[in-house]
Amino acid sequence: MSTLTAKLAKIVLLVLASGGLYLLATHQHGQRESIRQAAVALTPDCAEKLGRYGLASGEHYQSPYVLQRTGARITARGYSDEDVRVIQRGCNIVDDTQGHLAGDADRERWNTTRFIRGTHLSCDHCHQSIGDKQDAGGNPMKGSLNLGASWAMADMYDRFTGLLLPFELRQMQCYINSSNGYKPNIADDVIRDVTAYSRFLSVALDYRIGNHHDEQGVDEIPASATPKQGDDHVRGEALYKQKCAHCHGPQAFGLEADGRVVAPALAGPNSWNMQSRNYFYYVSTILPGFICRNMPPGQENTLPNEECRDIAYYISNLPRPAGDRQGPLVALRQQMLMKVLPPLLRLTETVRNGEAPVERESGHDR
Amino acid sequence: MKSSALAAKFWLHWPTLNGNLLVGLTLALVTLPQAVAFSVTLAGVPPHFGIYAAIWGVLFCSLLNPSRVFHGGPNTAMSATIGVTLLPVAPPFGAEYMGYALTLALMAGMIQLLFFIVRPLGRMLDLISEPVINGMICGIGFFLIFRSLTTFGGLPLNTEVEWPLWIAWQSFLAVLEIGNLHAIEVGLITLIACVVVQQFDRLRNWAILFGIAAGTLYSQYLNARLGPQDTLIEQIGNLSSIGFVFPSLPSFNQEAMPDIIAILPGALTLALLGLFQTVAALRRMNRKIGGFTDSRKAIFSDAVSNCLLPFLSSLPTCASFNRMWLVHKLGNHSRIAIASSALWLLLLVLFLADLIAVIPMPAMAGIIMLLGANMINWEDIKPHLQSRPEAMVFAASFLSVLFLDLFGAVLVGSVLAIAYSKWEQAHPNISLQGNVLKIRGNLYYGSLPVIESTYHSAIARVDDVIVDFSECYYIDPEGIRWLAAVQAGTRVPFADPRRGPTRRDHERAAPPERRGGAGRRTRPRRGRPDRRRRSDF
Repeated sequence: MSTLTAKLAKIVLLVLASGGLYLLATHQHGQRESIRQAAVALTPDCAEKLGRYGLASGEHYQSPYVLQRTGARITARGYSDEDVRVIQRGCNIVDDTQGHLAGDADRERWNTTRFIRGTHLSCDHCHQSIGDKQDAGGNPMKGSLNLGASWAMADMYDRFTGLLLPFELRQMQCYINSSNGYKPNIADDVIRDVTAYSRFLSVALDYRIGNHHDEQGVDEIPASATPKQGDDHVRGEALYKQKCAHCHGPQAFGLEADGRVVAPALAGPNSWNMQSRNYFYYVSTILPGFICRNMPPGQENTLPNEECRDIAYYISNLPRPAGDRQGPLVALRQQMLMKVLPPLLRLTETVRNGEAPVERESGHDR
Repeated sequence: MKSSALAAKFWLHWPTLNGNLLVGLTLALVTLPQAVAFSVTLAGVPPHFGIYAAIWGVLFCSLLNPSRVFHGGPNTAMSATIGVTLLPVAPPFGAEYMGYALTLALMAGMIQLLFFIVRPLGRMLDLISEPVINGMICGIGFFLIFRSLTTFGGLPLNTEVEWPLWIAWQSFLAVLEIGNLHAIEVGLITLIACVVVQQFDRLRNWAILFGIAAGTLYSQYLNARLGPQDTLIEQIGNLSSIGFVFPSLPSFNQEAMPDIIAILPGALTLALLGLFQTVAALRRMNRKIGGFTDSRKAIFSDAVSNCLLPFLSSLPTCASFNRMWLVHKLGNHSRIAIASSALWLLLLVLFLADLIAVIPMPAMAGIIMLLGANMINWEDIKPHLQSRPEAMVFAASFLSVLFLDLFGAVLVGSVLAIAYSKWEQAHPNISLQGNVLKIRGNLYYGSLPVIESTYHSAIARVDDVIVDFSECYYIDPEGIRWLAAVQAGTRVPFADPRRGPTRRDHERAAPPERRGGAGRRTRPRRGRPDRRRRSDF
């Protein structure tokens, strides 16, 4: 009798639990669907960019940008209302991944912060100007990690892994390594929206599949592109202090103001991890390329190759998180370094300069 | 004349043979869904891999392993290891991936062969204690539940290895938010049907079959009503490639070499997980049925099977505790029954391929979840929580599966097992009862510091200490030297069971309050067989 009751209780419990989970799932699905249907509150930059590229629903799409620059009227298939919302959300995510500009960050950004460790990183820290960086004359810039060009060139073998890497999977690598986080499921709206936005950029800027676009990725700068004096930590430190420390802080922990990131962290817990391609010891050509082509903002392409490599070398020697696949020991070491090194460095600076300690920077001590 | 005699003999043996065949059929029906689920949801290879493992793996094991209840075949933990190891290397279900899976299994088989050839290595497996094994089984149970979450929700797998618990949590949220609701329904129906049927003792072994039938029927109903283009429920798919033998070749070409080196730790994990389970299951079953099968023979049969199976496009094999339990329960202990299950399965698959093809993947995931939940058995855990060291070993082994990967867990488990046994040896039971310092356990370099500290505190408090080491079953040369020094230096007498009165005299001489009631229990036993070591003194 008691076993019978126990068995019945077991079954009832299971049915209740699974029923509850099912109801929860339907509720969450409904919520997602309502977000998908809701009008999108664009960030100011997105409103400007998408407005300039004439994103609207309709039968056909003609890029005003292409028309203005080349005079060519290229007619592409148009977008539905739903397509437009998807692209708008994608633009928002790239511009403001952490949701600082959103009213309800979790809902409007599909919980992107769930997939990012730290509070700094946003897609457009690397993919600058919302993944579409142009000079004063409106020309797309070489080596500026343009998302539209990336989408057009996505179906190529990845140079470093040798794999045919779909655009969606490449985004996951961004989440895992560049933002030192976790990857969203490939079927998640986060991935789909950013893909849709990138694809829209490729249409608006007329990037054709099968062509090579200089705007895709960064211009890699190998050691052979320098006067071959070797990568120098000391030179790098001096250059960093002189050219980068104003914004990124003396220890590269970034700069925050009013809860918003002015300059992202280049080291420490808010930065990319040791498995990212930005990490000098993993791929030594990409971070120098990024610096040369994209830094400092407004004075791009002013640093010589040699200096970019030195700065990149210096930055990569600062403590940063370990990658997920490097194991618990490396992770522990890096966590320890991130805790121990900053105060030590500050102390040595103080002693060396004989001045008052530098103010604590934002970001690294949370 | 001769043929009629044969026929008579056949009819004479028919009842047993008949019974064996029935047991074989039951086993085949129970194994089939597991084989499919393990290969598709866990290992990431087409279902025929698991089915061939359930055919050839079982057959090889029944031929090579003298145990009458040993049932090999595909295994959850091993299949999961294959999946986890190969996901970063190649996309699942691809030709490259399958080649690597076979290579991985072959390497594991060769490592297992090493465990057979190098005898001390094989003996090391006996050191893996029950708390370690149970901790890992529990951890793997949770791991299986987490791992099948995405398939349960009709979502693609997460393809790179991160911290498993985080994957689990993210996958759970993803299932809630973007999972395919039809898939979730199918999975839940399978799960509930399974659990309900499990409650009837007679049908317990058929629960999985019932569950899959329910899930399949529901998904067929959904497909008929809404159309597969709207339900989007993934199915097992075409099994027409299944034949009698499906030869295959592990990929060992030059291009694959870097990847093969990268999956070597995976191969070691696979080999060890297989052997752990085989040895542990054999040990437990030996005690259940009251027989004895040398674990070395089981290691041999596993190793040889796993070296052969990769050439028959099959997953690796190891003991399956739940199926061995089933053989035991069905009561017909014979290797013929087990071998016949392999042949039954071959027949089933040859004729029912079309039926298997429509089984939905979420149902498979539900089954894996249930098997995972069944691996977490409170009755197995409870005994380990009684003593603190055992509870610690259990917890460490359990947590290492969840927080590290399976390779890390196997390493931690092995180290823990050895550390635990050494710790036990190095801490003999020392008690001071009255003036008798009694040492039970090992007297060797590892335990001497512990003994010495008690000894010195004893001689500081009590004047006439007697050292009783009659229950020391092992004394190493350093222990002998210590004893000699003790006797030479402070003239401490040793209790000697051969001259009992001496010791009793000592006890009598001691003041009664010091003697206490406990002192009487330490009376040396007479007639112990091993006196050689003590005869030195």
